[in-house]
Amino acid sequence: MKMAMRAALRCLSGNFPPRLSRLSPPALVPATRLLYGNRSGCWRTFSTTSVHCKGKEKQSKTSSSTREQGWTQLSMRTDNHEALGDVVYCGLPEVGQRLEQMDEFGALESVKAASELYSPLTGEVTAINTELAENPGLVNKSCYADGWLIKMTIEKPEELEKLMDQPAYDKFIKSLEE
Amino acid sequence: MLFHLRRRFHLLGAGTRTQQAWTSSSCLFMDPPSCRSPGLVLQSQSTDVYQNLALEDWIDGHVDLQRRSILLLWRNRPAVVIGRHQNPWAECDLPAMRRRNVALARRRSGGGTVYHDLGNLNLTFFTSKKAYDRRRNLQVISEALRRVRPELDVQATDRFDLLLNGRYKISGTASRLSRKSSYHHCTLLHSADRSALSSLLRPSCPGIHSNATPSVPSPVANLTEHAPSLKWEELLEAVVQQYNSEFGLISPSRLVHPADESLFPGVGKMEAELRSWEWTFGKTPKFRVETQLELRDGQAAAGCSAELLMDVKHGLVESCRLDVPADWLPVRLSRSTGEVLLGERFCPHRAAAALAALLRSESGQLQGRLRNLCEALLAVMG
Repeated sequence: MKMAMRAALRCLSGNFPPRLSRLSPPALVPATRLLYGNRSGCWRTFSTTSVHCKGKEKQSKTSSSTREQGWTQLSMRTDNHEALGDVVYCGLPEVGQRLEQMDEFGALESVKAASELYSPLTGEVTAINTELAENPGLVNKSCYADGWLIKMTIEKPEELEKLMDQPAYDKFIKSLEE
Repeated sequence: MLFHLRRRFHLLGAGTRTQQAWTSSSCLFMDPPSCRSPGLVLQSQSTDVYQNLALEDWIDGHVDLQRRSILLLWRNRPAVVIGRHQNPWAECDLPAMRRRNVALARRRSGGGTVYHDLGNLNLTFFTSKKAYDRRRNLQVISEALRRVRPELDVQATDRFDLLLNGRYKISGTASRLSRKSSYHHCTLLHSADRSALSSLLRPSCPGIHSNATPSVPSPVANLTEHAPSLKWEELLEAVVQQYNSEFGLISPSRLVHPADESLFPGVGKMEAELRSWEWTFGKTPKFRVETQLELRDGQAAAGCSAELLMDVKHGLVESCRLDVPADWLPVRLSRSTGEVLLGERFCPHRAAAALAALLRSESGQLQGRLRNLCEALLAVMG
C-alpha cells in the first residue's frame, strides 16, 4: 500500500496551482512520461501534473515566419498504475475539441476509484484512441504504445517551458517522499 | 476568486495565523492551538442526497487534508446513487422511481449503483493521498461492529465490500482520487428497505449496449436482521469511537448542515450541479439501444414489431433508426419519427413534446398507429 501511495504521490507537481474555482479539484491522473521532440529530432522527456506527452516539433513550410507547430501524444505513466489499479473505464474527448491548459479532457475509472484527466497543454484534439472504449485495460498493459490516450496540437509551445523535464521531475518526486 | 479561495485553502490548514476575523467555516476547520486535533467527525443534518454529495465535494476541494482527516457521517431520504461512469437507464427503474418519489443522483466516485434510505449509513473518510487506505477504513466499521455485537461476523472482501456471516453484503465502497487528497466512502445497511432496493435496482431500458461501468449485484442484508437490538445511535457512536481509536485521534463530533453557506461557501452551486440533468444523465457514457418494439392497433397487439436502433451521447439522441413494417405505417412516418428525436434528450417527457407536432399532423388510423409507435418508443426511454 505504501508503494501505491508513493506512486500516487508521483502524480503531484508544483507547476500547476489547484483550480479551486472549479467545482471539482483537478484530480490527477497518474502522470505519464512526456517526450517532446526538438529540432534535431531527439526525444526529450518531460513530466506534467497529469499526463505524459510524446510529441514532435514541426517546421511549418507554408508560413513565411517558419512558425513551429507541434503535436503531442498523451499517455499514462507506468509508475502510477499501482495507485490507480486496473483501469475499467476510460472516457475521452471528441476529435476537434479544443482544450485549454488544465481543461478536463476525460476521465479514468479503475477498480472503484475515479479521477479526471487534465490537459497539460493548450491545443486541439486530433485523435483519440478508440481501442480504449472496448479495452480500457490497454492503459495498464501498454501505456506508451497501444494504450495511448489522445493526440493533440501544441498551440502554445511556451507552455512546454513551464513543464518539468525528467531530472526536475525526479527531484520533485523525491522531495515529496521525504 | 481563485486567489481568495487559495488563501482560504491555505488558512484552513495553517492553524495558527488567525490575525483577521474569519468566517465560521475557517473556525470549523481550524482548531485553536490549545486543543489541536488532526481529526474531525462531521454528521450531516440533511437527508437530501444532493446536499450531502455537494458537502463531500466541498470538503474534498476546500479543506487541507494533508494534516487532518475527516470522517463524514450522513444518510439520505430514498435515493438511487449511480457511479461516475454508469448508465442510469441500465441500472435502475426510472419510471418506478418517479412514481415513488425516489431521487436519482450521480456521484463523483466510481463503482456501482446503490439504494439509499434512512436505514443506510454513509461514511466518507477524507484523507491525504498518502494516508489513503480503504482496508483500514473498513476495519473501523468491522471492529466497531465486533465491539458492540461480537456475534456478527463482518469481513472485508478484496473488492472492499463488507460481508456479513460470509454471505450478505452490508457495505459497498467507492473512491475518488484528487490532486492531493482522496476520499473513500461506503454504505452500511442498518435497516434499509430491502424490497425497495431490489425492485428499483433493475434496468429501465432494454437492449442497452455500452461500455459504462456495470454494477455487480450481490445478495444484501441489514444489520438489524441479524442483530435486532442494534440501534442507529449505538451504531454511530461505535463507529466514531472506533475511528478515533484506529487513527489515534481525539475527534470532536459536530453536526453540520450542508446547505450552510457560511460554513461551506459555494456549496449551493455544487449542489445545483449535482441536481442538474446535464450531470445526472448527460454524463452517461455513449450507448446504443437495440431493441424490438411491440406494435399495437388500439388495445390489441398488431402482430408485428418495429426494430429500434438508437445512439445516445451526452444523454442526447445522436441517431435513431426505426424499421417499421411499411404496410403498418408508411416509411415516411417512421423516418420522420426518428428524425424528430435527433438532438433531443433521451427522456420520455422531452421526446413526447418533440413528437406532439408530428402526431397532430396525422389523423385517423395512421395517427392511432403513430401514437402507439411513439408510446412504445417513449417506454424505452424510462
